[in-house]
Parts: sequence; structure tokens; C-alpha cells
Amino acid sequence: MDITNPPARLVNLLIGKSIIETLLVGALAVFTFLSVFPPSFHGWGEVTAAGIAGWAVNDAAPDERVEVQLFVDGNFVAQGRANQHRPDVSAAGWAQDAWHGYEFALPPAFTKAAQMHEARVYVLHDDGHGLRKSLQLLGDPISFTINEDGTLASAGAR
Amino acid sequence: MATNQVTLETTGARSFALWEILSIVTSCLLVEWVVFSFAGRSKVVAGIPILLALGFMFYSHRERGETLRNIGFRTDNFLAACRLLLLPTALLIVVVVVVGWLANHSLPVAPWRNRYLFLPLWAIFQQYVLNGFINRRAELALGKGVKSAVLVALVFGILHLPNPLLAVLTFVGGLIWAAVYQRKPNLFALALSHTLSSITLALLVSPKLLNSLRVGFKYFG
Repeated sequence: MDITNPPARLVNLLIGKSIIETLLVGALAVFTFLSVFPPSFHGWGEVTAAGIAGWAVNDAAPDERVEVQLFVDGNFVAQGRANQHRPDVSAAGWAQDAWHGYEFALPPAFTKAAQMHEARVYVLHDDGHGLRKSLQLLGDPISFTINEDGTLASAGAR
Repeated sequence: MATNQVTLETTGARSFALWEILSIVTSCLLVEWVVFSFAGRSKVVAGIPILLALGFMFYSHRERGETLRNIGFRTDNFLAACRLLLLPTALLIVVVVVVGWLANHSLPVAPWRNRYLFLPLWAIFQQYVLNGFINRRAELALGKGVKSAVLVALVFGILHLPNPLLAVLTFVGGLIWAAVYQRKPNLFALALSHTLSSITLALLVSPKLLNSLRVGFKYFG
């Protein structure tokens, strides 16, 4: 085999191949991110006297009752479906119907007074093939304390 | 001045040969690590880098004037290549048997699977990419000898990561096959040696130790 400079066409082909592969990796990354973490979920959570309540909607599937999970101080606490009546959500235009609310009562483990806690509500999403499930934070983390009478109070700082 | 020009051209040609190797390795790693992790078992997506790599290799052969005979698809040196491969292949098989024995203190013979019938085709495909293309470009870049053979073996081992045992065995196999190819370029003989080694590995080394021969992202699955 002689060592001569490669023809320009071969160089161009190699550059083209590299570009296509780079684009493929980029496209795969974006496609995977969008299928695992679709930006179509909206929702909110807040402190109520008895627990954490809010709403969750998937704009890509407005009829779907979204599955949500509650974590407090980084630990899983409860799982539920956002299928409770929240007419304010549909009235505000966030959903087509009024059945997208959720409410979690906190377990006794979180009844110690005067301790600051942080709750996070995540929407559970299946990528459609059962291969991957992801959690996306709904709204902002919710800081709260427990009153002497066992009820919850928003800590205000978000 | 003319000498400098020739030196520059030679350096450029050698660098380009290395770039060709890197490009093919990148395509393989893309399939093993990126496509399988991002797109699951999508054959369509996996087909893109494979087709790009094959297309580039075929075009490169054409542009460099390499014929099927040059590449190693020939029969005239088959027996000579087999003679060269006989002892190292036997040693490789002994190593595999010893590894299987040491791991289990016995030789559990795995059940025969019909997919082993496709091993010769898979072996000749791998040998074509490894030696028919990568080894030839390694020779262009580094010349015939230890350096280019080690480069080929390293490439073959890296493509079998993160499976540690398979990476080591393929490095050893790759070194043997590259060295033999440089002396007697015959892909059929290499494929025969590759098939015998692979079947021994699949039958005599426990799938647990080899993680069912999984490589790339699938190794963790």
C-alpha cells in the first residue's frame, strides 16, 4: 500500500460522516430528553391545613389524570392520581375540565411541631414504551412547618 | 523543499489513515453506547451509523484502489493463513477453557443455540472491519509490525468494553488475528479461527462470568 495523500472526495466524505453522526447524537439527545421529560406538564402544589394539595395537567393529553408523587425532605411519602375536583384550574384556563386536583394528607411521622420541612410534588411520566419512568417537579418546592395543634403552615420561603 | 513536501504529504496521509480508524471506531461506539442507551433497540436508528461506516469503508477501498483480493476475500492463501493460525487459535481456546474451568471448577457445557450457526457470518463481518479495514489503515499509519497490530488489538478490546473478560480476550485475539493478517491476509481463515474461539467461549465459559457476551450500554442492562 502506498502512502499518498487521500483524495479530497474521501476527506470530504469523512467530514460529512462526522457531521451526520454529530447531528444524530444531538437529535437522539433531544428526542430522548423530550420523551423522558416532556415539557407538557403543568401544575402547582401548596400547603393546606391537613397536607399538600394542588393540581397537575398534561397538555399533551388533557384528558389524562396525571399520576403524582409526594416527597418530603427528599423521602417518598405518597403516590396518587390528580383526579379531584378543582374548578378553579379549568376556570383559569389551565385545563379543559375540572378534574385535575390532588391532595395528600401527611403521615404521622411529620407531626412534630416546630420543625421545618420541604415538600416536593412530582409528576410520574412513562415514556410510552415502559422502558423509562421519570419524575418532574410540579411548581416549586413547598416549605412548611407543623403547628402545635398538628396542622400545617406554610413557611413562606420558596 | 521537495523533501519537505513529501514528508508533509506522508504525515498527512498517515494522520488521515488514523482518522479513518477513529471514524469507524466512533460509529461502532455510537451504536454500542449512544443508540442503545437513547433509542433502545431501534434497528432503524442503529442502522444509521452502521450504514455510514460501511458506506465510508467501501468508498475508501474504492478510492484507494483496494480490491476484494487485497482486502483478504481470497482463497489462494487460505491454507497458509490457517497454518499460521493453528497454534495461536489452539492456545486461545486453551486459555478460554482454563478461564471457564477456573471460574466454575468444572466445565459446564452450555446448551447449543441455533444462533451459533450465524457466528461464521458475524465473524467474517467483524474480521472484515477489524482487519480488512482497520488493520490496513493501521499499516498505512504505523507500518506493518507490532505497533499496528497492537493498535488493532486495542481497538477490538475497546469495542468490547465494559465487559472486562471479553475485552481482555478480544485484545489477545485481536493481536493474533492482526499479526497473522499482516503476513497472510485471508479473512476466511481469520473468521474460522474467530468462530471456533467464540463458540468455545459461549459453550464453556458461564454466561454469568461473561454477562452473556454483552458489551457497551447493554452490559448494564
